[in-house]
Amino acid sequence: MSTASRERILAAAKANKPEELPLPTVPDFGGEATIERFTTVLTGIGGTMVRMAGLNELEETLRQLFPEDRLKASTIATATIKVDAQTPTDVLADIDLAVLQGEIGVAENGAVWLPETNMLHRALPTITQHLALVLDHRRIVATMHQAYAQLPSTGGYGKFVAGPSKTADIEQSLVIGAHGARSLVVLLY
Amino acid sequence: MTHAIRADKFLLDADRTTWHDETLWFVREKRDRAAYGVPEFQELRELASGIKNHTLSRLDLYLQEFEAAAQANGVHVHWAADAAEHNAIILDIIQKEGATRIVKSKSMLTEECHLNPYLIKHGIEVVDTDLGERIIQFRDEAPSHIVLPAIHLKKEDVGDTFHTHLGTTKGESDPQRLTEAARQHLRAKFLAGQVAISGVNFAIAETGAVVVCTNEGNADLGVNLARVHIAAMGIEKIIPRLSDLGVFTRLLARSATGQPVTTYTSHFTKPAPGKEMHIVIVDNGRTQQLGRPDFRASLKCIRCGACMNTCPVYRRSGGHSYDFTVPGPIGAILSPNIDMKKHASLPFASTLCGSCTDVCPVKIDIHTQLYKWRQVLGEANEIPASKKWSMKFMGRVLASTRVYGLGGQFARKALRLLPHGLTHATSVNAWAVARELPEAPKQSFREWYAKQPAPAAQPAQPQIPA
Repeated sequence: MSTASRERILAAAKANKPEELPLPTVPDFGGEATIERFTTVLTGIGGTMVRMAGLNELEETLRQLFPEDRLKASTIATATIKVDAQTPTDVLADIDLAVLQGEIGVAENGAVWLPETNMLHRALPTITQHLALVLDHRRIVATMHQAYAQLPSTGGYGKFVAGPSKTADIEQSLVIGAHGARSLVVLLY
Repeated sequence: MTHAIRADKFLLDADRTTWHDETLWFVREKRDRAAYGVPEFQELRELASGIKNHTLSRLDLYLQEFEAAAQANGVHVHWAADAAEHNAIILDIIQKEGATRIVKSKSMLTEECHLNPYLIKHGIEVVDTDLGERIIQFRDEAPSHIVLPAIHLKKEDVGDTFHTHLGTTKGESDPQRLTEAARQHLRAKFLAGQVAISGVNFAIAETGAVVVCTNEGNADLGVNLARVHIAAMGIEKIIPRLSDLGVFTRLLARSATGQPVTTYTSHFTKPAPGKEMHIVIVDNGRTQQLGRPDFRASLKCIRCGACMNTCPVYRRSGGHSYDFTVPGPIGAILSPNIDMKKHASLPFASTLCGSCTDVCPVKIDIHTQLYKWRQVLGEANEIPASKKWSMKFMGRVLASTRVYGLGGQFARKALRLLPHGLTHATSVNAWAVARELPEAPKQSFREWYAKQPAPAAQPAQPQIPA
């Protein structure tokens, strides 16, 4: 049934579409690619920013931020649990903290690009109770235009993560920690 | 039943109506602050409109480009001409997987196709995982807003619902604690989900990827834990290039809720090894709308809900009064395409103030289309006789200076002489249902003007050489 519908939909779209219109060119609007702007916006959406002088401070920073956490998965910090694409759901469900490398920070909205290759498991960034994204300050761009311009590809799966999971579905009251990570910290070096 | 009759029901609770009105206006104000914070916001709207117009003008070609790219990514692509076919395709995928537990993130398309009742009828458990959608699913209600599905409810209502379905303490109405209860409840559902269904915010022709935007993370959690992902999209979700997302992601959340971007902007391109990904491309009346030159721009909609938040009629009548999947001004121009008779009253649920058009991030001329639908409905005889004949009558009166003058004289006398009970009889005068008529003046402006002394002679005008 699908093939007939495919032909019908494509034929109808072809017959009913308007005369061809040009595809606009999207300019680079410039903007403020600063750590200050990124930090202000990230804080405004419920995230936290922690500055590090270098990656060598990562372990100590994590110890201070998460003294209690039991199960920690990570690509770049010392992990207490090994996670890969085959890790079963019930093991993932107990993870307290994921420390992952973010690739691009967007100053206008506090988002960080996280490709599948940095996730260990696709579900890890949302199933973990807390998420820490490590980001090189030189990878901060001003806008989403510039972020997309820098992406070589979006891989099999990838996402911009802007702050912790949240909802305002009950009377428009903002609640942090809906289904995904309850907190998000960006560790900037 | 008309919009006005359903709105009457909503208006019975005056306090709640006021709350609804103010809450949505608050969201509109947040939208304004977010929009004014981006210097190029108006340029972005123009670009978004241009990209969507271009895409619609090559829609068949972009759909094929998208299909080829998605298939090259190892994704199964399905085509559904209507709601029934959409539902059958999804049931078939679920049954082939031998699955009975489905987690679903927000998709207005699956609402439009009434997928949930169809799957439930076939013995499938469908859990809506967006918090607002889960609340109304428990209550067996339809969403009243496309972005804020439970905006018609107060926290006490949610507390009662969760007490019944999730066993929270009776009288608990703290949003934080209620959300935590839902988090725990839904986490169990996510972990057990075999097939995950999501909507699609944008489908990129160039890469074959679908992009889903959420704040809660429910789409990501559901899709990445289940073995099978089914993404359902209308044909109008296509955009040509990955870089076009720069424009749309900057507009969507700012227009919707005043956030700079949604928490998660997720790009699903290829299934994970050992897993399956399906995309169902749905028409369900969209190619027909594409063929209506006056109304095709409605297909540019990115479902942000800004037109609802700003609409003085939506805010004071509630989403359920529209009785259509997409309520508000955009719903009122989409719905007559689907069923003109059933939704004939919706284009009249507007003051034509144009506020919807002003905030639309893709510059749909919503209020112009509302006006044009009224003409179409009039031609098709789909408006009530009382409205039709009174409009025709008023058209005659207003077209003739003489008839208008006589009519005015008659009305001023009649209003003074006739008893209040007759002039304000609500059976014949709908105006008087909630309002007083103004006191009739003794004379019209024209009568007054005619009695004024002749103006002083004007000085001679300079002659203009021929």
